[in-house]
Amino acid sequence: MDIRAQVSMVFHLDKCIGCHTCSLACKNVWTDRPGAEYMWWNNVETKPGTGFPTLWEDQSHYKGGWKLNGKNLELLSQNKLDAFIKLFYNPNQPGLEDYYEPWTYQYENLFTAPEGDDQPTAIPVSQITGEPVDIVAGPNWDDDLSGSPLYAENDVNLDELTDEEREQLFEIERISMMYLPRICNHCANPSCVASCPSGALYKRGEDGIVLVNQDMCKGWRACVTACPYKKIYYNWKTGKSEKCILCYPKLETGQVPNCFQSCVGRIRYLGVLLYDADRIAACMSVPNHALIESQRSAICDPYDPKIIALARKNGISEEFIDAAQKSPIYKYVMKWKLALPLHIEYRTMPMLFYVPPLLPVMGKMDNGHYANTIDGFFSGLESARLPIKYLANLFSAGNVEIIEYVMKKLIAVRYYRRSLDMGDIDLVQINRMMREGNVSPEEAEEIYRLTALATVDQRFVIPPLQREEAISETCNPELCRGSCGLGVPVNVERGP
Amino acid sequence: MMDTFLFIALPYVAFVICVIGTIIRIKKWPVSYSALSSQFLEPKALMWGSVPWHIGIVVITVGHLLAFCFPGLWQSMMGKAEILLATETIGFAAGVVCLAGLIVLILRRIGSSKVQAVTSTMDLIILGLLLAQVLLGLAVALHYKYGAAWVSGTASPYLFSLFTLQPNLQFIQDLPVAVKAHMVLAYLLILLIPFSRLIHMFAVPLQYVFRPAQNVVWNNPRHSEASEANYQQEEARREFIKGAAGITLGCGVLAIGTVDKVYNFFFGPRLSAKEEEEIMSTRLKRLQMTANQRKLELERQTSNFILVSALSDLKANEGKYFIDFNMNTAMAFAGEDGLPILMSAKCTHLGCTVSNQVDEKGQVLCPCHVSFFDVKTGKPNAGAPAKNPLPMLPWAIMDKRGKVIAERAASGQITGDTALSSIKECNVYITRDLEGKA
Repeated sequence: MDIRAQVSMVFHLDKCIGCHTCSLACKNVWTDRPGAEYMWWNNVETKPGTGFPTLWEDQSHYKGGWKLNGKNLELLSQNKLDAFIKLFYNPNQPGLEDYYEPWTYQYENLFTAPEGDDQPTAIPVSQITGEPVDIVAGPNWDDDLSGSPLYAENDVNLDELTDEEREQLFEIERISMMYLPRICNHCANPSCVASCPSGALYKRGEDGIVLVNQDMCKGWRACVTACPYKKIYYNWKTGKSEKCILCYPKLETGQVPNCFQSCVGRIRYLGVLLYDADRIAACMSVPNHALIESQRSAICDPYDPKIIALARKNGISEEFIDAAQKSPIYKYVMKWKLALPLHIEYRTMPMLFYVPPLLPVMGKMDNGHYANTIDGFFSGLESARLPIKYLANLFSAGNVEIIEYVMKKLIAVRYYRRSLDMGDIDLVQINRMMREGNVSPEEAEEIYRLTALATVDQRFVIPPLQREEAISETCNPELCRGSCGLGVPVNVERGP
Repeated sequence: MMDTFLFIALPYVAFVICVIGTIIRIKKWPVSYSALSSQFLEPKALMWGSVPWHIGIVVITVGHLLAFCFPGLWQSMMGKAEILLATETIGFAAGVVCLAGLIVLILRRIGSSKVQAVTSTMDLIILGLLLAQVLLGLAVALHYKYGAAWVSGTASPYLFSLFTLQPNLQFIQDLPVAVKAHMVLAYLLILLIPFSRLIHMFAVPLQYVFRPAQNVVWNNPRHSEASEANYQQEEARREFIKGAAGITLGCGVLAIGTVDKVYNFFFGPRLSAKEEEEIMSTRLKRLQMTANQRKLELERQTSNFILVSALSDLKANEGKYFIDFNMNTAMAFAGEDGLPILMSAKCTHLGCTVSNQVDEKGQVLCPCHVSFFDVKTGKPNAGAPAKNPLPMLPWAIMDKRGKVIAERAASGQITGDTALSSIKECNVYITRDLEGKA
């Protein structure tokens, strides 16, 4: 067993209000540079929707992630030989038109325009060419289901839904949606790292953060195609690839990454997971429906003395082990089994987990009221406005049972708390629901506390990363802008 | 003077600057270079430009390098008309593919405002130089055909003289201007490699083929210390396992060999009567052949005359093989004058046995390396691999009673009665060369 530590994450989607504060907190610090304007290391998508870049989940087009060939995992995008032809032209790399052409406005025109009959205007100009642009797309172009016929209805996760379910999903007055904030998953089996011809992409052994070494990156762009989440972006100015760095300069000084810190809904949790790196390939090589359980089987119990001994043997510090024991992530993913990875069928073993949203689970309308009586509550799951099948396509590789398990548990916790606060629900019924939801009162209380009342210290359990042991220089986030990797911050500029 | 500058000073300057500049840029400023792809900004035309350009230029460059690095091999290959033609065709086709790709790339770079946003002056200079270079190359290929062949006598030895630090302009002095311009442009391009995007050619990620899929970097000294300790423990264990495995394997092989022998001795397959008979008869045949051989040798050691044939049995167009005093193959023909011709049949080139069939030119062929020998004189044809004639052997003609009627000495002198009427019933013998060796 090769025990490694991973700084991993949970996003509780029930609490996300889709405000994009996280995206801006990230953009303002990391990607407001020339060449990076179009990048959104953190973005929030409305689901159903086509996301950013457009239709990124359509791997028949983008060829991201791994495929199972017999018992072996192979990159969907390339093999070791055709990778060399694809250096010249990568047929599956998303282009600017799949994102959007970044623009700004000619604000100075408002002040400098000569006197005339009309009010001066600030026309949009491209941040690449400086020429006026006709804005046809932008980040969050389909925010809150805008342009649904163009965007939401083309969501590839809806492909397997019946016509009735689709109709129901987009029916006026009953339309439903959820928000999906996305950052790099810092996968345990990253396809971007495997695809990099130059070997510039790497996973840090200590905390599992996936980074691009800007010295070694030679701009072959294989990673942009290979990442199924399209969370590697090509900087058109420097000619190198960039990605979310999980604000490692902040993490290393004990601070929370920007998107976590700024989250208004407090949906984000950060903590350490211990996992067995020797089992990655094996547990990502099982049929789709078993992938969630398979991933869980590679995550180790931080209280197991055997695991602790092996972790120490691998150079994992006591502080890390301690953080792993206090980890909110371990609770959500392993103990309560509430948090699920996004699109595990890409087989990259993502280390960012989502608690699926409960809110849209509503029964059909009955005389102007939602039919969500206690008797019929769980039956409401089948006729949920956001079909369970849709959530399963997002979070459990199509395995509906896993989503139902999570939903029942979330509902049980909610009704348990209601019965405590309001006392308006019959104890027998509560007990029945708790049984069906597979949750004890103590656990329900624990889930409630970590979900609704958790303090900063409970949500973010960051171990000291002992940066001083590894690197003499400290990295000021301001100085590190645009530089990735370790060591002396270098200014990444386009060469001649 | 101009030639000295362009073809001696410039290549050295270009090469030195390229090597030093490239090393400095790669080592000291690695962040500054990449493929600088603009596919992200404009993918459609790029596909029709970049792919043909790169494939074409790789083929062309490999061709040029082969001709310069292995001039001997290259020359001998180009000696064959088919290979030369194929090489020229492939080269020209690759050049045309290059040109097509390059034109697309240039139009795209000028035409797309997005691509212009990432275009530097150096990019345009390089594109211009490359266009000129490809056009010149194609013009040379069209106008001065078979460059693949003539390069071996001109540019290759000149470049070799440059590399051995004994520059010699003789080889290229009389080359056409277009060829010289092609070389000068090549030097300029080499010179510009470290100062332009051309440096990306040294970033070709060959290591990708061999590296494992995942790449984990530990920055923490404790991990390397821990793994060092683990490694030493495991290393000791590994050594032990290796040793044990070796001994086991050795013993195993030994045991298998022993068992095999013992088993076959007691339970091995037995030969059938017919097989034993065959083996015995083969042995007998071999013994008889050896005995014959010994008999022949003995005969040649003890007697001075050995019968070759009856004179009347010799033919003019088909030699009769026999064994001479040195135990070598020889053959006998009937000459035009009725006298026999006895010559060695051992080719003077590498000792093959020469054919006994005389062709219409009066020659016999050595089939190994195609030497034709004149039957009358034994001389090889001009240009044959064999340089020396087949030696003529001394002979004697004796009548039935053993009286020598005519003979030919080793020196070639023929003595005795050579009238046809007196010798036609006689036999031909080879005689020991009593004066010489044999």
